[in-house]
Amino acid sequence: MKIKGVKNLRALESLMKLNGLIPIYRRPLALVAILSTPFSFLFFVDIFSDGTQLLAGSIGGLIFTVINAATMLQSDLLFGKIDLKFQQMVSTTGISPLTYVLGMASGDIVFILPGAVFFLAVILYLSSAGILAILLIVASAFLTWVFFSLLSYLISRKVREMREIWPISVIFGIVFAVLPPIYYSVYSIPIPVRYLAYIIPTTFAALIIKDAVAGAFFSVLIPLLIYVAETLAMIFFATRISDWRQRTI
Amino acid sequence: MSIPLLVKDLVKVYSVKGKNTKALDGLSLTCSRPMILSLLGRNGSGKTTFVKIATGQLLADSGKLEIFGHNVIESPGEVRNMISLVPQECRPWGHLTPREHIYHYQRILGNTREGSKDRTQYVADMLNLGSIMDTEAVNLSGGQRQLIIVGMALSAEAEIYFLDEPTIGLDIITRKNVWNAINHYKKMNRTIILTTHYLDEAAALSDEIAVVSRGKLVAQGTLAQLREKVEYNTRIKTTKGLIGDSLKGHGRLLQDEEYEILYTDDSMVEEIILSAGLLKSHVEISPIGLEDVFISLVGESIDED
Repeated sequence: MKIKGVKNLRALESLMKLNGLIPIYRRPLALVAILSTPFSFLFFVDIFSDGTQLLAGSIGGLIFTVINAATMLQSDLLFGKIDLKFQQMVSTTGISPLTYVLGMASGDIVFILPGAVFFLAVILYLSSAGILAILLIVASAFLTWVFFSLLSYLISRKVREMREIWPISVIFGIVFAVLPPIYYSVYSIPIPVRYLAYIIPTTFAALIIKDAVAGAFFSVLIPLLIYVAETLAMIFFATRISDWRQRTI
Repeated sequence: MSIPLLVKDLVKVYSVKGKNTKALDGLSLTCSRPMILSLLGRNGSGKTTFVKIATGQLLADSGKLEIFGHNVIESPGEVRNMISLVPQECRPWGHLTPREHIYHYQRILGNTREGSKDRTQYVADMLNLGSIMDTEAVNLSGGQRQLIIVGMALSAEAEIYFLDEPTIGLDIITRKNVWNAINHYKKMNRTIILTTHYLDEAAALSDEIAVVSRGKLVAQGTLAQLREKVEYNTRIKTTKGLIGDSLKGHGRLLQDEEYEILYTDDSMVEEIILSAGLLKSHVEISPIGLEDVFISLVGESIDED
């Protein structure tokens, strides 16, 4: 068991380098591209609110940035599966599909790390967040990364052509990062639509951070429990169906 | 003692939009000892589907597939550490060098940093990759990129190597390098399952050849054993203009006005030449090759496969 753990760590390190550190070093433009959308949204939120919603905009920016890592992962997994056939080679190494996904997702985290740190810094600067609030912000970002990375993995299992993923990725970003109340308050939307928003996990991600920076830790509890439960359900589901083998390739 | 590979009645049906296509229709083949077994078959004959099932990429519908006694259909995880794969139409990451590809593949396999470095160098020397080891793949030729994939797969210390068209796009010198590497692994008692469309490659490398058509095994054996399965064993090649009436209709016209006649009984050949009024200098007599065997076994028309 110990040996398998060491093997998995080595695989994780290498996949993170292959999919993250080395491409960032050699193709840094992708780093700018992945951060451009959350920053553009922050720019417009700040302009149209005369600076009053900069904190809300930064919270939205942080979540959008993490969602972008998951969106990138969809393309990376498909690129590895369909175009490079790298996934087929990796599958014969003995590591599990979820180790592979985690390694590739860790590579994508490297891409969004500068942006995430920037947004976190702005949130901390604009609020009086203490240690507990910081932990809750990081926990929310982490749950978002896990949940949506696994969702991306499940999506990539079903897609058989690179062209199919491009529209899916755009819709993915709109449904989980643009439309839900992450740049604005969930309480500003009418009740029936608000219930619809609660179906989307990023709504809870934003609620956790907003309540945490406001110091309303009691209010964080329910959204946090729901988000943890949703993420655990996703992990359970992904683990159950994860298999290198598919019915068709 | 379990054998390297045992395949029995393997069936795989692809179902796309309600239309079923039988990719494997009861494929059975055996690799009874460490050897180089080449799989030959036309496009769509089921070779790659077989490789995907054997390497745990694809679910089979029914049948049996064992690698060293381990049931791949039931528990593919048990054999993953025993196998290595060059997938068909695979390509490397553009932003990585050959050294990084092989090194990190070794790390994913679980090797230590030092061990990975040593193994990378070993493969680089074996495949003569020295001069391109630190060049990004995007700046390499198609053949050199293919060589990276072969290098990654051969860097694994596996028992069975599934090489699905590994030499596609390689120049003849580089192909020979890969052949030498494959032979080197065979000498180390490894089993190599090779799919290829290069018949000269199969003839040069293989201990046994398995011919697959429409998802079924048509024949398996050494080249000599396969020759025996064909109706003809001798080829007479001459120019169409020299063919007398007695031989017309017995052969077929090839390119450049060449005429080819296939005969079963080579003791009759000399008599046939003389009776047709041909001089020995006008004809080329040779035993049939793998190409003749292949065409004879799988047929020539597209409909036949």
